[in-house]
Amino acid sequence: MSTPASKPAYKRSWKNLLINKRYQLRFTLFMVGLSTVLMAGLGIWVMKVANETTTVSMASVRGTPCPKVPALTEAEELPPVPMKLPSEDPAPAEPAPEPPPVPSTGIDEEPTRRVKVQIEESTMEMTPTLPKVPTDFVAKVVGHYTCEMRLAGKIDALEHGRSLILWVLIGTGLFLVLGLAVYGIKMTHKVAGPLFKVSLYLAKMKDGRFDKVWNLRKGDQLVDFYDHFKTAHSGVVQMQKDDIEKIKGVIAAAEAAGAGEHATVVELREMLKRKEKAIE
Amino acid sequence: MSDPTAATGGTASVPTGPRPRYKRKLSNYLLDKKLQLRYVLFVTILSGVIAGALGYLIYQQKRAASESIEKDLEALTKADASQEDFQERVASGLESEDRALVYKMVGVGIGLVVILSLYLLIMTHKVAGPLFKVSMYFDRMAVGRLGVVTPLRQGDMLQDFYLTFHQMHDAVRDRAKQDATELEQALVSLREAKNNADYRGEKQAELDEALAELDKHLAERKKQLA
Repeated sequence: MSTPASKPAYKRSWKNLLINKRYQLRFTLFMVGLSTVLMAGLGIWVMKVANETTTVSMASVRGTPCPKVPALTEAEELPPVPMKLPSEDPAPAEPAPEPPPVPSTGIDEEPTRRVKVQIEESTMEMTPTLPKVPTDFVAKVVGHYTCEMRLAGKIDALEHGRSLILWVLIGTGLFLVLGLAVYGIKMTHKVAGPLFKVSLYLAKMKDGRFDKVWNLRKGDQLVDFYDHFKTAHSGVVQMQKDDIEKIKGVIAAAEAAGAGEHATVVELREMLKRKEKAIE
Repeated sequence: MSDPTAATGGTASVPTGPRPRYKRKLSNYLLDKKLQLRYVLFVTILSGVIAGALGYLIYQQKRAASESIEKDLEALTKADASQEDFQERVASGLESEDRALVYKMVGVGIGLVVILSLYLLIMTHKVAGPLFKVSMYFDRMAVGRLGVVTPLRQGDMLQDFYLTFHQMHDAVRDRAKQDATELEQALVSLREAKNNADYRGEKQAELDEALAELDKHLAERKKQLA
């Protein structure tokens, strides 16, 4: 546990990073804005050219010939199959069984007329015409559809490539903007930090306090500027020391001469006290 | 940072004639090389990289389109030898178009870098300028010179910081003036007291000497505060 007298460890936080808003935001926003404009402008150009390229490539792919599926138009001539039953059996066809006799009604009846139909020959073909299938038919069909699918795949790949460019541009742009914003603030903080520190010392000096000046943090910029400030501070401290020396001399001489209680010497002692306190 | 005393001819020198008119020179814009070049180079290189990468992507896409057209044209004219010349003409045209695009992009890129560098130089000068001026006053303060502080130029940045410095400088100067006045009064008062008290001997001589030294010190201080 730290003692109250010990200096608390300095904690860097995001809030502390932005200590000179006007300066830091101006420089950071300039960087971010410039990068955004460049990314957007050139990105649009890239997409325009990428669209053209994709369209041209797609047209090229669509124009690529694929092997055709062979047509099945030539039919194989088969001998027609006649409907006539083969007459190998020389015996006459058995007559159809006679229908059962109709019961007589007693009226003058005409004798029953019967027609006997026998189909001996027909041109109707019983088997359909079969198309002629070439021997490499399957290979050609497979080749055709493989080619079609390959072309469709190429078109898909082109579309995918175009989308990829778009998303990579958007992703890179966002990453760049965010990264630059963070880096810009951190970079300008290395300038704003020393300025802030000097401002604190200047405020103390304004109130007549000339405390010891500490060094900058590692990595801070404006090191030369800070050295100038330190010499100025030393100069002002030296002025106070010179004053102190002279006043002490006068007081000592006055006291020795027996004028130690003179009102002016009392005033000089107060001034001396004040000046000594100022450079503690 | 450049040495501010160099610009003013050193802290010990006192200008005698009329103040020379301030001339803006390009070299004057680079007051704090480390601070300014760091930012200028970072932003310029970053812009160059973005422009270069996207420019290359544009060229690559354009070239791919041209190659696709050339390939298709070659396939179309393969059968006909009389079309070979036409195909070559088209291919050469596309290639020169692509090359022209590269030149155009390189030109724009160089223009961007040059304009950006100049702009950033001026922009960072608006920060380096006030720092340079304050450094100059710091150097004067280091030798006890607390003269009058003049305001910043219009458009300069770090106005708040400069105001803090100005207030400090004025406060230190006023306090020094006040102290000098008080010490002067004390000097007069003690001289009068010495005469009235009629101090004698060695002690009086010591007091005389101390007062004489204080008088000299005050005279020097007044000169510094002028």
